[in-house]
Amino acid sequence: MGEKSLLRAGTMGALGFVALLGGSLSSQAQTPSEVSPINPPIVNCNSNNLNNPDSGLVTSVVPCAPNFVNVTGLDSLQHNFDFYSWLTFVALNWPAEGSAPIGKGPRPGGDARTKWEDVTDFRQLSDVMLPNGQRPTWGARVVPAECRSKDGPGKMVIHLIEEAFDQPFRSGPLIDQNGNYALFDILMNKPMFDYIVDNTLYSRAGQRLFTQGRFDGSPDAPSQSPGVPPTPPLGIVNFPKGSQPADGNPGTMGALMLKVSWKVLSNGEDPARFHTVDGLVYTAPKNGKPGSCVEKKLGLVGFHAAHKTNDAPQWIWTTFEHVANAPEQQDVENNKVAGRKFNFYDPACGDGKCPVNQTPPQPWDPQVEPFPNGYKSQVVRIPLPPEVSAGARALNDRFHGLDGVKGTVWQNYMLVSTQWPTDAANKVDPTGVPAPTYLANTTLETYSQGDTPLSSSSCMACHNNATTHHVPAVASDFTFTLEKAQ
Amino acid sequence: MTVITRRTVLAGAAATAVGAANVPAPARADDQADMDAFLDISFALTGIAKDKLAPFLDPVDIRQVYFDQARHNPKFNDLLKIWRGPPQATNASVFFDQPDAEIRYLARNIIIAWYLGAWCDPADLAANPPPDPLPYTILSPAAYTQGWAWRVAQAHPMGYSELRFGYWSNQPFALSLLIGGV
Repeated sequence: MGEKSLLRAGTMGALGFVALLGGSLSSQAQTPSEVSPINPPIVNCNSNNLNNPDSGLVTSVVPCAPNFVNVTGLDSLQHNFDFYSWLTFVALNWPAEGSAPIGKGPRPGGDARTKWEDVTDFRQLSDVMLPNGQRPTWGARVVPAECRSKDGPGKMVIHLIEEAFDQPFRSGPLIDQNGNYALFDILMNKPMFDYIVDNTLYSRAGQRLFTQGRFDGSPDAPSQSPGVPPTPPLGIVNFPKGSQPADGNPGTMGALMLKVSWKVLSNGEDPARFHTVDGLVYTAPKNGKPGSCVEKKLGLVGFHAAHKTNDAPQWIWTTFEHVANAPEQQDVENNKVAGRKFNFYDPACGDGKCPVNQTPPQPWDPQVEPFPNGYKSQVVRIPLPPEVSAGARALNDRFHGLDGVKGTVWQNYMLVSTQWPTDAANKVDPTGVPAPTYLANTTLETYSQGDTPLSSSSCMACHNNATTHHVPAVASDFTFTLEKAQ
Repeated sequence: MTVITRRTVLAGAAATAVGAANVPAPARADDQADMDAFLDISFALTGIAKDKLAPFLDPVDIRQVYFDQARHNPKFNDLLKIWRGPPQATNASVFFDQPDAEIRYLARNIIIAWYLGAWCDPADLAANPPPDPLPYTILSPAAYTQGWAWRVAQAHPMGYSELRFGYWSNQPFALSLLIGGV
């Protein structure tokens, strides 16, 4: 019985894994190349083999897609995806300039400006979805007039649009222990940017044309990148995919988008405990009020990365956060929080005065700080399934002990988990049956932690509902960025 | 160490190699054997393909919820014995031919669990007449959304859908895709 069951499990594992790969047992086709003009070939993708020695793990090379080693079932696949997440986090946070590796930068805690903050690697959403549907340009910083006198090397403009302070579906802002609003920002890499531009998805008018299939070279079709052939008039949003080199084909990076959360660092807060940026928080003119630009030192508290790959057309959803954001629910219940310091929790404030995980009272105005009446968010982390948390914790321990992370700002960041499709080829569930079923970041989905279907945070379940902004809208391939088109 | 590549997995070699070489044959726990039998029984009772009831990669793991509920019933082990035989049963009618009403209604409750995510007290089901309304418990939020009744109806639970924007303008998925084996 044992051997038969094992073989059956292995065969079923192959079936499940083949489903994960979106392949067919009857097909012996080579891995299709994902290379295209906007998804250039990459020959040196991170091999991301979790059996590699620790000494080679901290590298600036981003995985083009997960690699799968020692696969025996759900837990081992989760482990592979979590490992891929850590490599992605390290590589994206590699210093943007100079030759120093991660953790050896010039700032406190070995911090440095990161690759994802550099406009040659990632663009902020506000620089893609421009006013009046203007065509965005890669690589050019957009500094509003109100910020120019304060601008300088390494500074980052944060546009204070609603999404910059109000969590998804207007579930509310997050207020830190100093009464300041947490700030959120969305960025995308070049393949994702190029797909949006080449398919004129950066404007409502362009989205309408895209879905009407007007990319036929006709005179009134919007212009595209020089030398780029017209996109086939499919009208279905389908971002480019990442793929590992295989079968003689080069790898590709595919679309990768980030959502980050920052907290305002106040005097007395140790910058060596955070990756920091010198922010220029810009508020556009509105309703007769002039625009403004305020300088703020910001500390990273949350980091989402979503990466579309050939094996995960539902994307892979990675989330990290600062280790001191909020206590675990069980620690609160077992009175293990006294004397500890958190970014979004006060151990001295009881339930009666500081209700847990509750939306702040309205009105919400991020230009009014500190938040009125001394209000501060009281956030507690709702646990994931124990086997999911344990796996992430084990990898956190492993990476926290590596040179470049240990003893640096980056040791203050931990993987929460990685959500991935267990059945990417599932014909009736376009979310691909995600694992873990629910996943939330305490700074980015503060108020939707839990395990209630469609109410609690699931990256894929939520993003599966994303659409374009034009009318009639169409599904937008798991990204809400297109609904910001003007 | 076998590295999983698409080619090796498609050939089935890697899966077998990983399974055979890297994972020692585990001793079969009673729980796992009982779970296997429970799944065989569930397939026989519901008509839903077993790989649909319990996919190999199963993050939802609703089978565990129903299994845990069922095995707390004092007649659960009797149910397993009847199924296992000898002779090994092949048809769910073996339960409904039983003289013991509690076994018949436990089997019926397992059907209700898989289809509706609900659990009734078998004693209520067996009562003549049964209570009206019939008391029941939705076993978990996932049990509600995973109910097979919705899929058999080629629909989705009220307030929950995995389908993408605009699905309502398309034909429902074929029944065979939803429940398998049709």
